[in-house]
Amino acid sequence: MKKELKFANQIVLLLLLLFLVIAVASVIGAANISIFNSIKIIFSQIPILGKNIDTSGIPQPHVAIITNIRLPRIFLAFLVGYGLSIVGVALQGLLKNPMADPYITGTSSGAALGAAIAIMLKLNRVIWGFGIVSIFAFFGALLATLIVYNLAKVKSKVPVTTLLLAGIATGQFFTAIMSFIMVISSKDVTSIVFWTMGSFSSRGWNHVQVAFLPIIIGSIIIYVFAKDLNVLLLGESTAQNTGVNVEWVKRVILITSALLTAFAVSVSGIIGFVGLIIPHVMRMLVGPDHRILIPASGLMGGIFLIAADTVARTVIAPTEIPVGIITALAGGPFFIYLLRKTKKVI
Amino acid sequence: MAKSLIANNLTFKYDESTIIDNISFEIEKKSFVTIIGPNGSGKSTLLKLLAANLEPEKGTIILNDNELNDYSTKSLAKEMAVVPQETNISYDFTVYDIVLMGRNPHIKRFKKESPQDLSIVKEAMEATNTWYLRDRNINEISGGERQRVIIAKAIAQEPKVILLDEPTSSLDIHHQIEVLDLLKTLNKEKGVTIVAVLHDMNLAARYSGEIILMHKGNLITMGKTEAVMTVEILQQAYEMEMVIERNSYTGCLQIHPISLIKRQKELKNVGVHIICGGGTGKGLIQTLVDRGYRVTLGVVNKGDSDWELGCMYNLEMAEEMPFSEISDNSLQVAHKLANSTDVVIMTEVPIGWGNYKNLDILEAQLNQGKRVYQLCSNENIKFDYTGGKGLNKIQLLREKGLIVVEGKDKMLELLEEIK
Repeated sequence: MKKELKFANQIVLLLLLLFLVIAVASVIGAANISIFNSIKIIFSQIPILGKNIDTSGIPQPHVAIITNIRLPRIFLAFLVGYGLSIVGVALQGLLKNPMADPYITGTSSGAALGAAIAIMLKLNRVIWGFGIVSIFAFFGALLATLIVYNLAKVKSKVPVTTLLLAGIATGQFFTAIMSFIMVISSKDVTSIVFWTMGSFSSRGWNHVQVAFLPIIIGSIIIYVFAKDLNVLLLGESTAQNTGVNVEWVKRVILITSALLTAFAVSVSGIIGFVGLIIPHVMRMLVGPDHRILIPASGLMGGIFLIAADTVARTVIAPTEIPVGIITALAGGPFFIYLLRKTKKVI
Repeated sequence: MAKSLIANNLTFKYDESTIIDNISFEIEKKSFVTIIGPNGSGKSTLLKLLAANLEPEKGTIILNDNELNDYSTKSLAKEMAVVPQETNISYDFTVYDIVLMGRNPHIKRFKKESPQDLSIVKEAMEATNTWYLRDRNINEISGGERQRVIIAKAIAQEPKVILLDEPTSSLDIHHQIEVLDLLKTLNKEKGVTIVAVLHDMNLAARYSGEIILMHKGNLITMGKTEAVMTVEILQQAYEMEMVIERNSYTGCLQIHPISLIKRQKELKNVGVHIICGGGTGKGLIQTLVDRGYRVTLGVVNKGDSDWELGCMYNLEMAEEMPFSEISDNSLQVAHKLANSTDVVIMTEVPIGWGNYKNLDILEAQLNQGKRVYQLCSNENIKFDYTGGKGLNKIQLLREKGLIVVEGKDKMLELLEEIK
């Protein structure tokens, strides 16, 4: 089919772009490592293939910088961008609401509150290479989603309007508690604010290990429902009458999205805008069919976040800017540009 | 014949109020059934229950020998498709993609559409005249086109039953007929059972074989269209005076709403005799009857449009055979009718040799000292076809006291003064 060929082309194009961005991101930084060498190092990390690549001519610190500092960051940025964008696509389709993003079910405020509590209680220990702040954030996010989901439930159904309202109400409530913590524990304000703006600084392979499987499996589960998400755009009852078990699909996608977002948030903090704008950008570029939209958004989200993180760590080096600021700074105007250009009502 | 849908003692409540109250009916396979009833009678809710979008509080629904609850969502969608009142689609899918979604219940989760699926989609789109729209955006086409696309999607599901909730309510008359003709064809050629909620009783009468009439959550009756479409039955649901006649062009029953029953109760004790013909009296007759005057007509020729109106309202009339000169007999009747009223009005009916004698009625009434009016809204209308004799007579009558009134509104004002 012509259409499938087009889909395949678009995915290949995105993969090429991804590789390019990874190469560039691994080159840029304080240590001066050549493009050729960094590509060599990247390839040497790939199993089987890597054995044939000779890295003996490259200074050992350079190999360490790339493999232990830059690559895990790039990977993590990709995973988070990929996960958040896919969740954004799924929720925008499921809720038929263009303003939906991964945090709509209260995930962000729940995670922020969890992190704030951990920071206030000085729980900066590390368990299995993983900060307690992250663990608190993870459970905060899940708790918020659980509350929102149960608030929104009417009998056995979860109507979209009640879900959105419950999300807003719970989010406000959690944010209020977090603000209160910031007031009574004012010396922690900077760390809390920094955490809520999201960052990949000093993240290593252990973070990638934690986030990798849940995010990949979650995205596969969501992709399985791509066709159902298409039909759902006809409206819930029409989708039901066209053979989609609406309430079941809704439950699976909401739970998967919440878990996926909670993992992303726990490794990176709250990075806004990615999950909102990447789906819209990709919908304009590849169309609304979720079978292409989901993988394309995932890849683009990853690419975008790698690029944003590279800017965040280099633009006023050695000081790092929280990556959430970069995503909002870049994403906002670009989104407006796209809106004006296509002149379509989203 | 086998049953397509059976409803047993269906009850549905919304909070405390009962929307559907213990309804039972059976719909035969391959039939075309419409559900009618006033606003709030529960017809849309009934359809949602049949579509399994709502669950009944009590009772069961059996679709093609199996209970509705026993179907999985997918297998139900293979048996039954639903066309909602309006469809809003949030993002820009092409028309073709939308119709292709109708194949969803037939395709396994990880399988692609087969060539057979694609040809079914094409067929459905050609039947609904939407194939030329296939690459257009679903949100760029008109409401009528979108409704046809949604019906094409329903057809692509290859269901045995199609439920429709007021499928034509947002369409113009042309598209209404187009959509209903399409459903009729589907029903006849493919044997698809059609169950549609319709607002328009005339369309229901024209297209469906059977009708379910609902009122306040109850099923008043279900039966063949001709049996349900009677004034006595319809008045149980619609509090209205109405007339049912056979449309001479389509041969279908047609309902003419006349007036609300409540208003009719305040009868005026004033009789008005109207001399009219050729449709000149229509507007006046309708208003006067609505306002509760006792109206008589004549002499009018049978088959004349004013005569038809008189028949519809069941008015007393002095009748004459079509295209015939007024006979002494009918003139006698007209004199009698005119005598029994308080006012006599002549409309702008043209005077020819056939109805010239009507002027005698006016003269007789004037001689009795009764108020006689000539309604005149347009000076330029040629109404004398007797070579001046009619005009002379009118002149004479005016001298005897015939009052010329300009326009219907003025006429009504004058009538209001009579007690």
